[in-house]
Amino acid sequence: MDFAWSDQQRELLDAVGRFASQQLNYDVIENDREGVFNREAWKKCGDFGIQGLLVPTEYGGLGADPLTTVAALERLGYACKDNGLLFSINAHMWTAIIPLVYNGSEAQKKKYLPGLSNGTLIGGNAMSEPNSGSDAFSLATTAVKKDSTYVLNGSKVFVTNGPVADLLVVFATVDKTRGPDGISAFLVEKDSPGMNVARKLEKMGVRTSPMAEVFFENCQVPEENLLGKEGGGAFLFTRSMTWERGCILASAVGSMQRLLETCIRYANERKQGGQSIGKFQLVASKIVDIKLRVESCRNMLYHCAWLSGHRKSVYLEAAMTKLHISDCWVKCCEDAIQIHGGYGYMTEYEVERDLRDAIGSKLYSGTSEIQRNIIASMLGL
Amino acid sequence: MKILVPFKSVPDPNDATVVGAAASTPKSVINPFDEIAIEEALRIRERGEAAEIVGITIGAPTVDEQIRAALAMGIDRAIRIDDSRALDPYAVARILRVLIEKEAPHVVIMGKQAVDDDSNQVGQMLAGLLRWPQATFVSKIEFLGNKTRARCTRETDAGLEVIEIKLPAIITTDLRLNEPRYVSLPGLMKARRKSIEVLTCDQLGVTVRPLTTVLSTARPPKRAAGTRVESVEELVTKLRQDAKVL
Ligand SMILES: Cc1cc2nc3c(=O)[nH]c(=O)nc-3n(C[C@H](O)[C@H](O)[C@H](O)COP(=O)(O)OP(=O)(O)OC[C@H]3O[C@@H](n4cnc5c(N)ncnc54)[C@H](O)[C@@H]3O)c2cc1C
Repeated sequence: MDFAWSDQQRELLDAVGRFASQQLNYDVIENDREGVFNREAWKKCGDFGIQGLLVPTEYGGLGADPLTTVAALERLGYACKDNGLLFSINAHMWTAIIPLVYNGSEAQKKKYLPGLSNGTLIGGNAMSEPNSGSDAFSLATTAVKKDSTYVLNGSKVFVTNGPVADLLVVFATVDKTRGPDGISAFLVEKDSPGMNVARKLEKMGVRTSPMAEVFFENCQVPEENLLGKEGGGAFLFTRSMTWERGCILASAVGSMQRLLETCIRYANERKQGGQSIGKFQLVASKIVDIKLRVESCRNMLYHCAWLSGHRKSVYLEAAMTKLHISDCWVKCCEDAIQIHGGYGYMTEYEVERDLRDAIGSKLYSGTSEIQRNIIASMLGL
Repeated sequence: MKILVPFKSVPDPNDATVVGAAASTPKSVINPFDEIAIEEALRIRERGEAAEIVGITIGAPTVDEQIRAALAMGIDRAIRIDDSRALDPYAVARILRVLIEKEAPHVVIMGKQAVDDDSNQVGQMLAGLLRWPQATFVSKIEFLGNKTRARCTRETDAGLEVIEIKLPAIITTDLRLNEPRYVSLPGLMKARRKSIEVLTCDQLGVTVRPLTTVLSTARPPKRAAGTRVESVEELVTKLRQDAKVL
């Protein structure tokens, strides 16, 4: 087993760190307060090569392997403080790019992947509905084929990137009686007739990542925009969810590493009772916990990515990785605030924001309960 | 037009590691002024006024990382003179002179100084050795007369000075010339396919001996903690008596 990065990987990771720390950390507090998406930073990330990390080179990407990709995203999370921007990038990569890479036709890949890679296009997906969340496959949105178009009807909620997306992967059923086998995926471009990106949703954290409700009212989608096979949507969704679970919290591991360093610095500098607070065992012990969490999360993240790079199934590992990192991230943020005392609770110290940003990770890509269900079922329970 | 950009690898000025401290090697980067020179060369090529940009650096194989960064920014090819000695400005200028005679560029753009030793001499010495015109501390470059001349704005203590020089010439860059681009991942990938030519002083037929030796390096004195003053009078007194700046 080799834990060393190659020279090329090290060079790439250093470049990511330098880019992110110099180019992405402006107006973060204000944008979080106002819920503003940083489109300029998104484009910079695209030009730099983040969104295209996993995209094959023939479609304008970098063609990096999964391990290099998660390491790059981890470094991005370490150096960039705008968790919302990174969440939007992740949603885009795992729910729009991955399904296209695996299930897109040649024409679809050629049409969308270069733009999705270089930051000119923004993608996302629309699965969740008012009455189907965890039980995603019970969705009610319908797609009816009429001549050479599909007509979509239904409503979607929690669509990350919805307000700014150029392209959404929308899930709908062509035949409700077939259950999951009726679910199909469609590539729906913005401003398609009958698609209405409605209310922008206010939320607790990742506030710089925009989210909307999306309604479909006789929305016409040309048949060449069917992604994968008719009825193949559930399989496609499961595959992209597995990627998402395994990778979406890579940047969270970087963010935890940053918190760890922030806490060590603060615990050494802040003096109470005539000594650095880091000398109080109760404080030091919290920092040790953060360190242990960072290390265990990083190992799970890398192992899962290494397995997928070796074309092994990671259905179980991805669920464990997602569950563990999200739990650890929230706990690290709580500890970080506690270590900073009242200052940690203040916006300007930029610790409380991380906690708000972290909590959503126990909900999206399947709640923690759903990850436990998956793990239990894989253990034969 | 062919542009030659000599650049130096220096300790990262943004790295907090103390230079010379035991058991710590500060990260290296391209000298920031040279990075500005590279950026300018790229912009000149992008506006169609240059066809080729050649980067040159002198150092041990460890500087290949900075060479790849320059290639990733977009220069076409790079030459490394394999020499790990601590060379002084005159030695560097003499080596560069030989290479410039060999490569015959139309213009050489380089940083006005390196941030590690702050010598600010190589560009001037090089112009002297080659008997080429020079424009130093430049914050704007335009090419005129079918690229036979360059109009350069120089940042001097007295203000901005605009001069015209005949090409070939040496131009040294100041901070405000441009803001260098960052190395992108596609750029890094492309850089891996570009070649780094390695030459030695022997191969170039040049023998250099340092004329200066560094005797010692020391940390700047630690800053003493500040004090609060109660009034303007007290501040003025302290500035006079303690800080001795008035
Ligand atoms: C920040 C954020 C971004 C999101 N982005 C997107 C997006 O881009 N596209 C998209 O389609 N969706 C998105 N979602 C929606 C997300 O996928 C759902 O919120 C999630 O699947 C849970 O569904 P729900 O909210 O309807 O909760 P419910 O499914 O109603 O769950 C409520 C509670 O019941 C528990 N529960 C439900 N079923 C079970 C069970 N079988 N066993 C045990 N417990 C159970 C849940 O764990 C939870 O605690 C996003 C959500 C968030 C928070």
